[in-house]
Amino acid sequence: MFRRYRRVWVVYKKELLETLRDRRTLMAMVVVPIILYPALMLILVEALRKETGRRQAERYQIVVPDEAHKQWLTGVLTRDEHERKAIETVRSTTSTTAADAGMDMAGGLRATLRAEQLDIAVAKKGESLWRLIQDQSYHVGLLIAPPPDAKRTDDDVNHVVQFIYRDTDPRSEFVHDRLNRIFGGESERIIRARVTKATGNAASLEPILANSLSTASPSQQYAKILAMLVPFLLVTMTITGAMYPAIDLTAGERERGTLETLAVSPVPVGQIVAGKFSVIVTIAMLSTALNLGSMSAMVYFSKLDRIVSSANMARQQESVAVEHWIEKGAGGQGGTFSQKDYLDRRRALEVEAKEKVGFLTKAAPIVLLAMVPFAVLAGAVMLAVCSFARTFKEAQNYMMPVMMGAIIPALVVSYMPTIRLEGLILVMPVANIVVLIRELFLGNANGSAMGICLLSTCFYAIAAVVVAAKLYGHEAVLFSDVGSYKSLLLRRFIRPQPRPWPALVLLTVAILFPAYFYWQSFLVDPSEGASRFRVVLGLSQVLLLAAPPLILSWYLKLDLRETFSLRAPRFVHLMGALLMAVSIVPVASMAGQWIAGLTPALRPSDELFEKQASLLTSGSLWTMLTAFALVPAVCEELLFRGFLMAGLRGRLSNRWVVVVVGLLFGVFHIYIEKIPIVSLLGMVLTLACLNSGSIFVSMIVHVANNGLGLMATKSVALQQFFGLSDSAEAMALDSRTLVFVGVFVVGLLLIALTPRTKEAAPPILAGPHHVSA
Amino acid sequence: MVEVHELTKLFPTTEGGEKRAVDGITFQIAAGEIYGLLGPNGAGKTTTLRMISGLVSPTSGYARLAGVDVTADRESAKRNLGYLTASTGLYQRLSPRELLRYFGELIGMEDEAVEKRMEELIRWLDMSEFANLRCGGLSTGQKQRTNIARALMGDPPILIMDEPTLGLDVLTNRVVLDFIRAEGARGKAIIMSTHYLDEAELLCSRFGLIHEGRLVGEGTLSELQSRAGRTRLSEIFLSLCGKEEHVLDLGVGLSHLKGKGS
Repeated sequence: MFRRYRRVWVVYKKELLETLRDRRTLMAMVVVPIILYPALMLILVEALRKETGRRQAERYQIVVPDEAHKQWLTGVLTRDEHERKAIETVRSTTSTTAADAGMDMAGGLRATLRAEQLDIAVAKKGESLWRLIQDQSYHVGLLIAPPPDAKRTDDDVNHVVQFIYRDTDPRSEFVHDRLNRIFGGESERIIRARVTKATGNAASLEPILANSLSTASPSQQYAKILAMLVPFLLVTMTITGAMYPAIDLTAGERERGTLETLAVSPVPVGQIVAGKFSVIVTIAMLSTALNLGSMSAMVYFSKLDRIVSSANMARQQESVAVEHWIEKGAGGQGGTFSQKDYLDRRRALEVEAKEKVGFLTKAAPIVLLAMVPFAVLAGAVMLAVCSFARTFKEAQNYMMPVMMGAIIPALVVSYMPTIRLEGLILVMPVANIVVLIRELFLGNANGSAMGICLLSTCFYAIAAVVVAAKLYGHEAVLFSDVGSYKSLLLRRFIRPQPRPWPALVLLTVAILFPAYFYWQSFLVDPSEGASRFRVVLGLSQVLLLAAPPLILSWYLKLDLRETFSLRAPRFVHLMGALLMAVSIVPVASMAGQWIAGLTPALRPSDELFEKQASLLTSGSLWTMLTAFALVPAVCEELLFRGFLMAGLRGRLSNRWVVVVVGLLFGVFHIYIEKIPIVSLLGMVLTLACLNSGSIFVSMIVHVANNGLGLMATKSVALQQFFGLSDSAEAMALDSRTLVFVGVFVVGLLLIALTPRTKEAAPPILAGPHHVSA
Repeated sequence: MVEVHELTKLFPTTEGGEKRAVDGITFQIAAGEIYGLLGPNGAGKTTTLRMISGLVSPTSGYARLAGVDVTADRESAKRNLGYLTASTGLYQRLSPRELLRYFGELIGMEDEAVEKRMEELIRWLDMSEFANLRCGGLSTGQKQRTNIARALMGDPPILIMDEPTLGLDVLTNRVVLDFIRAEGARGKAIIMSTHYLDEAELLCSRFGLIHEGRLVGEGTLSELQSRAGRTRLSEIFLSLCGKEEHVLDLGVGLSHLKGKGS
């Protein structure tokens, strides 16, 4: 078997070698993450540091109307300077640990304004402060009302400070901003002094002291930050990494004239595409890993994490601690926080910071693993899209909407932290992976949601790869002179074919799946009454399951009889179907309970599911059977045992057709707990249809399963006849059940062991139209 | 070895109609025969060769390579085929040696056989000087020699060559022609399309003259000469497709076309 696929490995080796020799790919994959990120970060930090230094070195001109204003302002600045120096003294006595590095850096990037930087001038008599600032003679003008009076104690008077500045001048704006803060500090000091004077206790200033404690561990706090940033960045970088190899291996090859050589080689196109696709995924994953590694290293070495997370928290705690310490040192009240306490807190922060850095190292492999399905999907979609392009430039144009289509949902979801991995998000390409990575960071992902998310992503990827394989060697794409894409799309250019092809059926199912999921999850609302529920549910079956394959089959001139197995069954198959029909309800019920026992985590628990189940049995028997037994069975059979099965038969062995059709049938039934039993039922129905060659055989069994199952919920007699039990306990394996199992097995064997209806060869009206299957 | 029967290809046109690019072409080629498919631009030569090599599906008719129907079993049919065109590109970032190894492995040859065959071809086509350089830096002649080696890696019994000497210098042109002659002598069935009728006269044992998608003449040079009453291939071609008078009417100097038979 492996020998058969040896050529996939041959293609993979060659494409990987050639790709790694391509400068463009290396630029996107290696240079950007390894050099550009750190370089950008260093430049950014350095620029901020320079800017801070420049601001702290510059002198700023302030103008006031008179000498009293100048004295008042000088007093405020002196007091602020004293307080700032006190804080610096505390920091210099406690900043002995490495944990301060981040906070120092954060502080280093925040410019402060010192008194010695300010030149305070007094305006000449009659000079307008407004005019002086407007003329850019000074940075800021100050007017204080009531005017300061040296004879009064300022602490007894309330002042209004009027700033005059230019917000378009960064220096003017900076001085205005910093002075504002200084006045805020001065205001607090005055309040404290007033309250202490009046009550003798400054603690009365804080009648309610709110103190918040988060139960999140340092790792979780760090994860929250990562969860917001990393998924989006990784999605973007994975796409960027995959883009050049995808273009180069498809449109690039066509443009260089090597595709013709490859197409004429005796290798199935599917194997060539599989080899190329594997290279794209490898490069995408390498790019992801390098980006993640580079991001981690950058965060670690630049101490960005501490700036972003710890430093903010630390700064708050620090200011509280210093404030208390100063109060205590100054003999104020409430000094219960010693310098030792402060030092201890700083040490605790150091431990937290280390834990957080360690978290990224631990999370990286999980995140990388979760990115695999996304890389698979991105690679597959790009391969499929680029397969349309004849030149590198054309492929680049096609890539833009693909990139936007991936980056925009990733960006939107990144900034919507309340979106959870549930509902439509589970099957929404790209968005589901972004949310999944976020949930993994936050530790919220559950197994079944993760399963659906990964399965749906892999399914889309398979559909895209199959489409790429279909297009890859197509003559309309291979040679620009032999016709256009019209020959692929317009009905009059389409030649009749006996059956659909794998790419078509997989693409159809991949498109229908999220649409059906959305319809079922959001439009089918059980609270709006039974009749509306029946209509909406029935419409979903007709419009999304039956109509698309029928319309496509007509448009593409497929042989309807061959595609949908529309043949009268042989008598023996009919008998087999009837035997299965009368026994399927107890057998399915027993199998369902048996599977539920094996997978207790998948027991039905959804409230919506319970509500829907109760609505299924409401209304008259005829309405109930039409809406929930006949219509779904016919529509589902047309899609699964008709269109899908016919498409896969051309590519897969019968065994795999049974498995794949059965699994997809199960996945379409929305509720995760129903997937195993419905998949099993799907496999049995596929086997019956495949062997009998008649869709009516599987339809009979399907209708019986739905119809008798529903009737049994209403009829106690029928329940007793089938030996069904309401309790969660497993059905007893008594003689009655054994008889049903026996009848079912006999029916299945009759179908499985009897050859299908003898018929003429498939009406192959012409040879395959395309170069590849 | 090669059997082409009523091969037809229709293409959609931009006006919404259909163009009959190849119209019911039939011919056979035996082992050791070099068959020249000749005709003006747009006559349908390349489309015919692409259909024979399985790159394009025929609208009707069939082509068989060593008895295998190309449409029905494309992979098996291609095993018998070596394909070479003037526009065939090479992988720019691989060396000729890496490229030959790749195609050898791709057609299912064992490692030992790949190495042996590769060295043989490198010697035969005098490629040792540039066998380890990247293809992107090779001259046109070196590229064409690499391409010939690539087409011959699996030593296929049938060779299809679409304009194999287009744009080549005199020396490389000679190498290619010698190679075609030698391969014909080794018993390979070769189909060759070219605009250079002199080359075709020298090399090919039989000819198919194609015009507007139809085979207007087919046979050995002497058969065609007796049918058209002309000696040179160019004159025979103009005569068979009824263009001779038209060209004369246009006043085009046909002195170079007018040979002994005119």
